[in-house]
Amino acid sequence: MDQNRQGARASYVALAVFVALWILAPSAVRRFNREAFVEFQAPALHLLGKSRDLATFWEKKSRSVEEMAAAGRDLARVNAALEIQINKFEDIRRENVRLREITHYNVPAEYMSVVARVATRDSSSWWQRIVIRKGRNDGIRPGAPVVFGNTVVGRVTAVHLTTSEIDLVTSPGFRCTAYLEGDDQNHIVLVNGVASNSLGTAKARVSVIPRDYSIPAGQPARVFTTGMGGVFPSRLILGYLDGGTYATQVGNFKESLLVPSRDLYNLQEVSVLVPLHQNPGEALMQGDQFQ
Amino acid sequence: MKESSDTRVLPSTPVDRLRLYGVFFFFFAGFLYVIGGLVYRQLIQSNDLKEQSDTQSRRVVLRPPARGRIYDRNGFPLVDNRARWSVKADLASLQKEFRAEYLRLLAAEKAREAVSIDREKLMEDARVRVLQGWLNKVWFVIDETNRNTKGRNWVAKLTPVTAPAERQINIDELRKHLRERRALPFTLVNDLAFPGAGQALTADDGTKSVARFIEQFPVEGPIRLDQDNVRTYPYGPMAAHVLGYVKDTDMLPDNVDDISEVRVESMQRLRYTGKTGAAGVELSYNNILSGRSGWELWTKTSSGYNQTRLKFSEPEQGGNVMLSIDYRIQQATESALGKLKDPQGNLLPAAAVMIDVHSGEILSLASQPSFDPNRLADRVSSKYYDEIEKTGGWLNRATQGLYPPGSTFKVITATAGMRKKVVDWDDVLDCGPFFRVGNRDYPEHEPVGYGEVNLDKMLAVSCNVWNYQVGLRTGIEALAAESRRFGLDAPLLQTISDMETGGLPMTELPYAASRGLVVPDRAYKLRIGAGAWNDGDTANLSIGQGYLLTTPLHMACVAASIARGETRTVPSIIHSQERTGRHIGSVPIGLNADQLEALRGGMVRCVEEGTARVARIPGLPYAGKTGTSEYFKKGEKAHLAWMIGYAPADHPVVAFAVLVEGQTDTNTWGGKTAGPVAKEMLETWWPIAVKANQDENSKAPR
Repeated sequence: MDQNRQGARASYVALAVFVALWILAPSAVRRFNREAFVEFQAPALHLLGKSRDLATFWEKKSRSVEEMAAAGRDLARVNAALEIQINKFEDIRRENVRLREITHYNVPAEYMSVVARVATRDSSSWWQRIVIRKGRNDGIRPGAPVVFGNTVVGRVTAVHLTTSEIDLVTSPGFRCTAYLEGDDQNHIVLVNGVASNSLGTAKARVSVIPRDYSIPAGQPARVFTTGMGGVFPSRLILGYLDGGTYATQVGNFKESLLVPSRDLYNLQEVSVLVPLHQNPGEALMQGDQFQ
Repeated sequence: MKESSDTRVLPSTPVDRLRLYGVFFFFFAGFLYVIGGLVYRQLIQSNDLKEQSDTQSRRVVLRPPARGRIYDRNGFPLVDNRARWSVKADLASLQKEFRAEYLRLLAAEKAREAVSIDREKLMEDARVRVLQGWLNKVWFVIDETNRNTKGRNWVAKLTPVTAPAERQINIDELRKHLRERRALPFTLVNDLAFPGAGQALTADDGTKSVARFIEQFPVEGPIRLDQDNVRTYPYGPMAAHVLGYVKDTDMLPDNVDDISEVRVESMQRLRYTGKTGAAGVELSYNNILSGRSGWELWTKTSSGYNQTRLKFSEPEQGGNVMLSIDYRIQQATESALGKLKDPQGNLLPAAAVMIDVHSGEILSLASQPSFDPNRLADRVSSKYYDEIEKTGGWLNRATQGLYPPGSTFKVITATAGMRKKVVDWDDVLDCGPFFRVGNRDYPEHEPVGYGEVNLDKMLAVSCNVWNYQVGLRTGIEALAAESRRFGLDAPLLQTISDMETGGLPMTELPYAASRGLVVPDRAYKLRIGAGAWNDGDTANLSIGQGYLLTTPLHMACVAASIARGETRTVPSIIHSQERTGRHIGSVPIGLNADQLEALRGGMVRCVEEGTARVARIPGLPYAGKTGTSEYFKKGEKAHLAWMIGYAPADHPVVAFAVLVEGQTDTNTWGGKTAGPVAKEMLETWWPIAVKANQDENSKAPR
């Protein structure tokens, strides 16, 4: 009985010592521990993502020949349409190169694109965050925009050796400037994610909309990036204005909700646009020294 | 069987019962007291208590409305509202940082073995250092000139020691904020689009500055981004004197009394800061532009922060005002004035006005030097205020500037002479190099004189001697009466009825020149103690010199009146399609057809071959009259250059007046200095008028 009590007391003491050590430990030690934990679980995340890919592969492989033939036929049609588009774009690219040569206009690329598979996503909608299977080793840096096609997915918030965390457009930690379709004067509006409860629908808010702005008739108004903030390239689609809640007015501006244009929870693959030159915001995120 | 002591029941006694009743009574009285108190609180005091509770736990936030827009006559916005983005530090979230910095400073003081440590000063230093650190980070992000020059070692361009004021924490402002508004965030950058008070950013640069902060600065943390409305003048200093500017006001808007639901006056409220017109149209039409304030009713936390919005009423934007200004002509006018510089390259003070001959609507009204109302729309730096003061930029020279009109007045002298029948349109006077009045020779500006001069030639060459003779024959009383007939002594009021202005109230023109106008006569000279009137004074007045003082706007109206063959033109700054062209107080000029023809012909000849020939426009014959009057600047004689006129010559549409204040060491003359400004104004107006005419014709039914 006494031995048990002593054992229990010893474990309480050990716990208290551990907690005290953790509190008193230098921040570098704590950061190292956190990083070590993330790296420790990274293989598990990779395995999870790959096993999902494998499951998808076997699920597709188990389909009947007829289904595959139909899918193949559909794919051939899509391929044919895309071939035409590729040829058209190739013509435009050549014309672009020719004009640049004539005008001696040489604009260096500003971003390096890193394609990454989605490893996992947070099951709750609290954090609005996904993890991808590329990290520091692949040249990804914090603050880089993440896109799928011409649609913004979010921004890199934390980078580890082989994985990176991405705040989605609907995350409260996401903020960017945007133009609204149909606003001829190109007022900039603010888009930021909204914290929602665990069962709520993820959403983003579009604020500082001019009072005299009205949605173009007959179509949902698209919301584009401005390209002025030095993070996102211009004219990427952030989503659409939700017409239903559009009438909300705050202060002397209007507010609306943003409907993301991609289903952010079914993403399999994204592109990280890593800027070739570090911007001040990135330096702040990394805690760089400046005078 | 032995009875247990603890189960034994003691018999009650009468004394015990009495005590029991006493206890019952005590509890009953207490119960009654509690119930009574509850009833009193719930039924009698409930309203007062609820109000008291609301007052303590709720707060009203008044929302100033967006002001209405101001458009030019074609619907281009001259004044608008834009979103202002400001960066604020949440002081409550920074408490830990303040404390850590304070302890660090304290340790340093102790290590220095300081004799006495002022802990309050240390705490203030800690706050300033922490906030300065965050301000540096904000500037680090928004300053586009920052480049990563050394790999990952950033070198921000300005360090706090050498930085301008806007990059440093203002200790006095911080002290005031902590004293008066501690619960509210502290403003680090008041306007991200114009972060440097001393630098004017283009709209594009301003937007970039906002966008860089939004996208690059960390979302989490103690630094917040706030938005509100601020007045914006898209064309900067253009028409600044007409448009005016706005200033802060802490006076509660009138409509607040209507908020019966929340009884604003009894609630605690944050300091209200709205905007009100301070000058120009912003001031004259403030009641239309102001709009209606909104309000929000909030619950607040024990620390004083807003918690939940309970009720609200949206602010209503003010009404719009459409001015008669055409921004294209206004731009051209200001551009032409901007070319007038002294040998040191400083802008010459000047003014120019163009009005519609028939309606009196002002198409352009410019005064130089000017100011940028964008820089006055929010906090005005004393440096900028002093800068405007020093250059004389506050004065609207077109409507407030009082000047002797010089030879442009000769059209009135001629009219007075012909109306008094002391001279006719075809009379020829002998005009030598001077004219003797009393014992003094009054000179001609041409050393050898002009010989035989009639009205036509007088206006073309601006002969002084002709006017001395006619002025003396006419007499001071008739000259003064003629000046008054043309309205030179009258303040210019907006005297158009509500119907004609589309519902806008009768209002004074911005800076209406109602004071200081002088049309001298015998009584005037006696009144100012300058002695009796003499013939020399009359000779001076006949060429627009001496005591006579008027404004460029008045002289533009004189030109418009002559173009219509009338005496008065009532100018208007408000555009209205329904304007009738009826000018209150105007009567026919009182000259016969030949006389009027000769007066107008002389003005046309002035442009074609006379003193204004430098301003001739091929293909656009127009009438003009130059003037070069003298004034004293810092005790030395200097010239005022004038030109008035109307165009086109055969069917007048616009009239104009240009005035330039010459410097003592410059060669300033009416035709040479003011002429090119008039020419540029007309060259801009002419194609616009031709196109408008074509559009009008194409709309006409065929």
